[in-house]
Amino acid sequence: MVKESITRRDFIGTTAVAGAGLLLASCSPDAGSKTSATKGGALSKLNIALIGCGAEGQVLLESLLVIEGIHLVAIVDIWDYNRDSNVRRLKAQGVEVKGYENYEDLLAHEKDLQAVIVATPDFWHAPITNACLKAGLHVYCEKMMSNTIEGARSMVQTMRATGKLLQIGHQRRSNPRYVFALNRLVRDAKICGRLTAANAQWNRAVTDDFGWPKKFTISPEKLAQYGYKDMHQFRNWRWFKGLGGGPLSDLGAHQIDIFNWWFGVTPTSVMASGGVDYYKNHEWYDNAMVVYEYPLPTGMARAFYEVLTTTSAGGGYSESFMGDEGTIKMSENPNVTKLYREDRAPAWDDLVAKNYLRASATAAPPSDADKVDVRETAPLLQYDIPVTFNKKIHQPHLENFFNAIRDAKVKLNCPADEAFSSEYVIHKANEAIAARKTIEITAEETKA
Amino acid sequence: MSDSIHVFNHNAMATQFQVRIAGEEKTYAAQTAQAAFALADELESRLSRFRANSEISQIAQLLPGDKLRLSEPVFACLRLAQRLEFATRGAFSVTASALRNQPTKPLWALVENEFTLRCDSGRLEFDLGAIGKGFALDRMAEVLREWDCRAFLLVAGGSSILAGDAPTETLGWDCGLGENNSARRHWLANGSLSGSGLAVKGEHIFDPRTGLACSRRHRAWALTTSAAESDALSTACMILDETEILDMLKRNDDWLVFLNEKNEWRHLGQRPVPPLI
Repeated sequence: MVKESITRRDFIGTTAVAGAGLLLASCSPDAGSKTSATKGGALSKLNIALIGCGAEGQVLLESLLVIEGIHLVAIVDIWDYNRDSNVRRLKAQGVEVKGYENYEDLLAHEKDLQAVIVATPDFWHAPITNACLKAGLHVYCEKMMSNTIEGARSMVQTMRATGKLLQIGHQRRSNPRYVFALNRLVRDAKICGRLTAANAQWNRAVTDDFGWPKKFTISPEKLAQYGYKDMHQFRNWRWFKGLGGGPLSDLGAHQIDIFNWWFGVTPTSVMASGGVDYYKNHEWYDNAMVVYEYPLPTGMARAFYEVLTTTSAGGGYSESFMGDEGTIKMSENPNVTKLYREDRAPAWDDLVAKNYLRASATAAPPSDADKVDVRETAPLLQYDIPVTFNKKIHQPHLENFFNAIRDAKVKLNCPADEAFSSEYVIHKANEAIAARKTIEITAEETKA
Repeated sequence: MSDSIHVFNHNAMATQFQVRIAGEEKTYAAQTAQAAFALADELESRLSRFRANSEISQIAQLLPGDKLRLSEPVFACLRLAQRLEFATRGAFSVTASALRNQPTKPLWALVENEFTLRCDSGRLEFDLGAIGKGFALDRMAEVLREWDCRAFLLVAGGSSILAGDAPTETLGWDCGLGENNSARRHWLANGSLSGSGLAVKGEHIFDPRTGLACSRRHRAWALTTSAAESDALSTACMILDETEILDMLKRNDDWLVFLNEKNEWRHLGQRPVPPLI
């Protein structure tokens, strides 16, 4: 009988659970994650602070509040609108935190922190991360590591020099569905056959630049102190050189990182086209199309990436890995995930039987070549990944970070040196657009 | 009207949301609307049962005895839903369809000091279709007021509206009960109007207490201060009979219900009727 899906509910109380549970345990994004429990059974408490309470910071905050053993001590933001509203909102939820304007104040006053979460604009990542690592704290820093290669490299060097942990926020690396698909389907079952290509996209509809409530305008002096020309630039920093890296960096970073992670190598070249064609008051490209070449042991594979901010094209974002026997289309949204089997590929029945795949119906038994049964049209089988992910999407990656702090046996899923390799080739894509030529990349230069 | 009205549209929660802002410079109005729509998207990601990682989907995975810590808006929405279920004597419920899939209604509780939801029995397959859009309008209105845009009208799919201050030199926003420029029109300000019926979506309202289809065949409208309340109340009024509605309204003097049967308009409740146009 085909197992419908593997969910937590299924884990408890069904006979199919044991196999499924073992299957998932073997693909856990965080093996040994509960080994850091205290004698009483609860996870040891970690005092942490959140630096940067904008849109991404608030997403992380939601996850932080549901993770066992995390004591949020303080939040930091230069904008009182973000800072004070979050302090109030947290208080209403029974979480008392202090609010600080900048990381220097945080480090000066909070002496019992173990870690910080950095979710500021990109150009602040390196100075804040380096200072916090040097202050003896472990750091979880959102991607991109930095708006410059040099900034990102300095973070890796500081991580090594201090011996502290530095996890970069490529959260798909801890997503159980991605981990399962890579380890079980691509690597173990070789469901795609020989990988020949990858394709990913993230397209968004046209939006106006962000505004702000007039009464919460930051003074020009304070904006200058923190590196912004004006309030518009502060609110729309992602579009400005020197502050962020544009859509390739904001959106593409997640997915180009998946290319590198799943292929297991860095590309040897990048060609790209893009431009500031639509938003005339922006500095970074509003559209980009990129091709990387990945030298796999089985032969060359090419990866195409597209990011558009001028059309949603139906919405959604995904990454497809395509081979001569099948394709896996992945997304953080499980409804977008698809698996396609090429006609020439071996049947996937055994993978369904092993619970590696879920099939939409039971496959018809093979018939003898000299006989045939006739009845209604049989539906084409559809396949899905049998892993239900019942957490906020950033939660497992944060949990991996906290568990690695508690237990040296737990390895980070995206340490800064690995993230550097991915992010290096993203910077190179922006360079290729500017240079309007193919850029060669050596494996050596992708290492920090 | 002396104020120019800026209109912005956005798809969310499987319908179209609209923000209308009066008396404000266009670019600022657009940025304000964008902030409000972003909030609607965020709420949808938390409240939708069709999003695999939403809190509502997470709640559906709970086993009896399990708890889940909720975000502030989801906790607030479910707390309001509990209160409205009590006020409507169960005619509104976020587990409205439970009896169609389960032998008994699932039981759950909110643990205030923990900000958690506890599953007590059954499968908590919540459907916030009769409160989520209204709740989103209430939260969007907070954004607009924070941005000092006070003369606004928010629309969720044509079934719930929430009016802020009236545009200058008017008594309110011109609102009709029904469709196609309905003849029954009121000036609405600082209040919310929601309508429920079977004409657009067919038989889709079920009595949470019995699992049977609703008894009312004609539309019902509810006028309250909060859009979450009007949204839920209009649905409940499709289920409650008139005696039950009157009994409910006795205890809630902020609520007004409109019924239209055989082309006869009636209103029930103590809240003043907004001026007719």
